[in-house]
Amino acid sequence: MIGLVEELVLLAIEDDGAIAHTAGSVGFGMSLIGAALVELSNHGRIDADLDSLRVMSREPTGHPVLDRVLQMLVIEETLTVEQWVLRLASETPELVRLALKSLVGRGVLEQTESRFLWVLRSRRYPVIDGREQKEAKLRILSTLLGEDLPTPHDTELLGLARAGGLLEAFLTSSEITRLEGRMEQVGGIDLFVRGVESAIREDQVERARAMMLPMY
Amino acid sequence: MTEATLKTLIEITAGVTLAVPVGRLDFEASTGFQQAIEQAIAGAGTSAVVVDCAQLEYVSSAGLRVFLIGARAAKQANVRFSVCGLVEAVRRVFVVSGFDKLIVEHADRAAALAALQ
Repeated sequence: MIGLVEELVLLAIEDDGAIAHTAGSVGFGMSLIGAALVELSNHGRIDADLDSLRVMSREPTGHPVLDRVLQMLVIEETLTVEQWVLRLASETPELVRLALKSLVGRGVLEQTESRFLWVLRSRRYPVIDGREQKEAKLRILSTLLGEDLPTPHDTELLGLARAGGLLEAFLTSSEITRLEGRMEQVGGIDLFVRGVESAIREDQVERARAMMLPMY
Repeated sequence: MTEATLKTLIEITAGVTLAVPVGRLDFEASTGFQQAIEQAIAGAGTSAVVVDCAQLEYVSSAGLRVFLIGARAAKQANVRFSVCGLVEAVRRVFVVSGFDKLIVEHADRAAALAALQ
């Protein structure tokens, strides 16, 4: 069984094995960090409330992405989940690389390389049998279309996929609009996911502010 | 790991099981609380579970997850599930996380029991 981090990465893999442009977005990166934090919490390494994230154990989990994030959670400072997500955002490319490597190692993806116009190197990650990717999509769809309360995993997956802009890969914009109410109700009922959403909003505000600086 | 910081008292009155967590619900306390809630839902003749949070001082992310698991398990078992007596710190966690949109909340135990009559 794969975890939230791998599920998010799989949702960013297109049918031809290319990594979607979404995977380069700030929202995706922050969602991936959020997924790692949720999983670290499930492993009993961290816990959080509205004021701080607390490291309870530094014992490695054996998962490369989680252990990389755990290493970076230095305990000298008290930061909120949102502040940690903003601080760790620059690590996203490395986390994606580690997650892809893990998926290749587990036989979920294969790595292929080719050349475009004989010069530009292109790397793709075709899905081997598609089961895990399909399961992640089905989990999201059944949370959205069902009437049950979601499991913690399913609300976290939906919330993070939504924050990371990954729903657009398999839902049309009109479907997303139609399901907005249900998403609000059952998506991201988790303090780590809410921290990711706040961090994305904060980043957007900062970018907008930077663009409005007067030019001299 | 530190010692659990929560006790959960169970009271049963006329088919309603009251679960009363006392203390702080963090990661360390979450497993014990989950077991208490699951037992309350599975109790013979239980038609409703009310979690009286008046003495619950704190809920972390791990604790919140247990509330969601409990609410889901209750719905699947056709047992009504509600909370009452939330202190401000706990209510903030429910509101910020969005859990308040999924759950029935009453001001206090009397209001919760009255709503079940």
